Amino acid sequence: MATTLPSASLPLEETNIQAESQWATVLRRFMRHRMAMISAVVLVMIFTASFLAPFITPFGRDTIDLNNRFVLPFTPNSETGQMHWLGTDHLGRDYFTRLLYAGRISLTVALVSTLFATIIGLVLGVLAGYFGGWVDMLITRTLEFVATFPLFIILLILVTVLLENENLIPIPGFILSFVMWITAVTREREAQVIVLVTVVIALLFWTGTARLMRGMVLSVREQPYIESSRALGGSHTRVMTRHIFPNAFPPIIVDFTLGLNGILVLESSLSFLGFGIQDPIPTWGNMLAFAQSYMFQHPWMTVVAGLPILFTSLAINYMGDGLRDALDPRMKL
Amino acid sequence: MTNFLIRRLFQMFIVIVLASMVSYGLLYIAPGGPLLGLQQQQQGGANRITEADIARIKARFELDLYMPVRFTRWFIGFPKEPITIGDQVFFADLQVGCATTQTVRLRYPDGRVEFAEICATPVTLADLEGRRSSNGILFGDFGLSQVILRDRPISTLIWSRLPYTIALMGISTLITLMIAIPLGVYSAVRQYSPFDTAATTVSFIGTSLPTFFFGLMLILVFAVLAKNAGLPYLPPGGATANRDYIIPFFGLFELTVQAGSFLDRVLHFILPCLVLTFVSVAAWSRFIRSSMLEVLRQDYVRTARAKGVKERLVILKHAFRNALIPFITLVAGILPALVAGAAITESVFNWPGLGRLLVDALNRSDYTVALALLYVTLVLQLVGYLISDILYTVADPRIRLS
Repeated sequence: MATTLPSASLPLEETNIQAESQWATVLRRFMRHRMAMISAVVLVMIFTASFLAPFITPFGRDTIDLNNRFVLPFTPNSETGQMHWLGTDHLGRDYFTRLLYAGRISLTVALVSTLFATIIGLVLGVLAGYFGGWVDMLITRTLEFVATFPLFIILLILVTVLLENENLIPIPGFILSFVMWITAVTREREAQVIVLVTVVIALLFWTGTARLMRGMVLSVREQPYIESSRALGGSHTRVMTRHIFPNAFPPIIVDFTLGLNGILVLESSLSFLGFGIQDPIPTWGNMLAFAQSYMFQHPWMTVVAGLPILFTSLAINYMGDGLRDALDPRMKL
Repeated sequence: MTNFLIRRLFQMFIVIVLASMVSYGLLYIAPGGPLLGLQQQQQGGANRITEADIARIKARFELDLYMPVRFTRWFIGFPKEPITIGDQVFFADLQVGCATTQTVRLRYPDGRVEFAEICATPVTLADLEGRRSSNGILFGDFGLSQVILRDRPISTLIWSRLPYTIALMGISTLITLMIAIPLGVYSAVRQYSPFDTAATTVSFIGTSLPTFFFGLMLILVFAVLAKNAGLPYLPPGGATANRDYIIPFFGLFELTVQAGSFLDRVLHFILPCLVLTFVSVAAWSRFIRSSMLEVLRQDYVRTARAKGVKERLVILKHAFRNALIPFITLVAGILPALVAGAAITESVFNWPGLGRLLVDALNRSDYTVALALLYVTLVLQLVGYLISDILYTVADPRIRLS
């Protein structure tokens, strides 16, 4: 061919720009997505505030103050003069405080169960896709069977059944104390409930990730570099962890963010309906359920109780959108 | 096709049996049975329940039968009594359960002592005669409700709630289809136009909005605030009102709505229907848009345009028909969504449908009702899969079922 590639004719020093790593590219592309960046900042703020709750607010999580019930937002306490930024609920508990703690619990449950569901899905998906044969058959059949169940109904039933005899499944003490530390609950029973809800959600919602991962692995497996790695004597474990996993990974990030939002909303709906985590422990869902029962006398309560879940949900979705665009090489930004 | 149908129906049957086993086992560990409440009462004093009472109650709820026997009696209504062939009675003495247990001390020759539970009064197949039992859920007999409608058949309960759910889901799905399809197609055809951007943003918000929050906000605005402000308002929940109410129209005239009238029902219907419609329009229009974009890139669309087919025809006939194929999966999903698909919306608006029945049943430990609803959903889901598979062959001749 007479024509040469344009890059070949460039002077050397110009081509010698240091190559950007894959993740740096993704980050750069992500930063271009304005809504996603705003959402990321909002999310970081919500997370930090939730986990610094005891230092931010002077009120206790469950401190009942019957002289200050249904206090409007931006009104000081009638006795101590401390500001109730978002008002108080039907027992005089400070809304701002409870929303912070609720965020701590709701976000932890959502994050941990999504993380576990994703890990289960990842491992099973990689195994099924890589080995094929009877492993694939077994995993795919299990997956289809789990997916046959109407998940929301099963989740309602399982949570009801397990929470009423929470001693059915023994939970190791160190997990309980870890959960108590991270969600700032004081009683062991509360931690038990939180762990059970998390585990049940994780065990039911891994099928999507597994299916996605299996598909990705099936396409990556046929690439020449996998064959060369095998030919060079790489073990199955090495090929899976060093070559297949990193190459099949990017879509999982998007899947994770969307799954996180799904599970956050799911857990809120669950406690909104009166299942799952119950009242003295605040969650965004059960606080909204209480607000609903006082809706006619105090309409502002629903707005106050509902806004955090709305903002978080929107922010996570926008972030997922931004990540999808940033990770898709075909997308021009 | 026949071959395929036979195989699929057989597979469906296997899955139903397995899934029923799992769901029955799930509720078997459920607490809050009739004995629990009675034992708590017993500690009160005066009306102590005796051993005989416990045995009677156990027999009534079949708690004295072994798990597999209970399962088959619930699932296919078998065994009901000993098998009689001619005058001969078989298996009359077969032990199927245990009414009372006894703890005995076992002393081994080497000195170890162990306590073991043995059956003091066994229940045999002959004892089952005369007990009431369902004909099996597989044959459509769901058994009796225990709490919500005490001792009335669950099917009565389900039939009384079904019209509400079908009305809500049916009408909202119809409206959704009428809005989402044109919206999705138009967005795809005018990709990146201001209209597309606006539609995408709105549907994006719609899909990430928690349903219950959206429902509550609608109640807040259209029922609570509007009523407080003296504007025309909508009823906040339920399917009908208990007494007549008056809706003001800006002081011009007043509308008296009779409780239970058609107008009353329509007014109660608007808000829940709006929530369901908005949420599904958001999801479905995005789905149709992306599927349409995919098809519009295909070679045959370019060929059609190159032939000089009118743009309208290209979009409607060449592209749209093919874009609908993945849509079939979504439509088949409507069927299982009948039960719990609107559970949250129904609960927010206090709408007496199947979804709220499920929530009520679980809240009040009426596990037989919950189990029946779970079972119905399972079957509907499998039927939905089957229908979508068949629809695929109709829509796309390249797919062959074999």
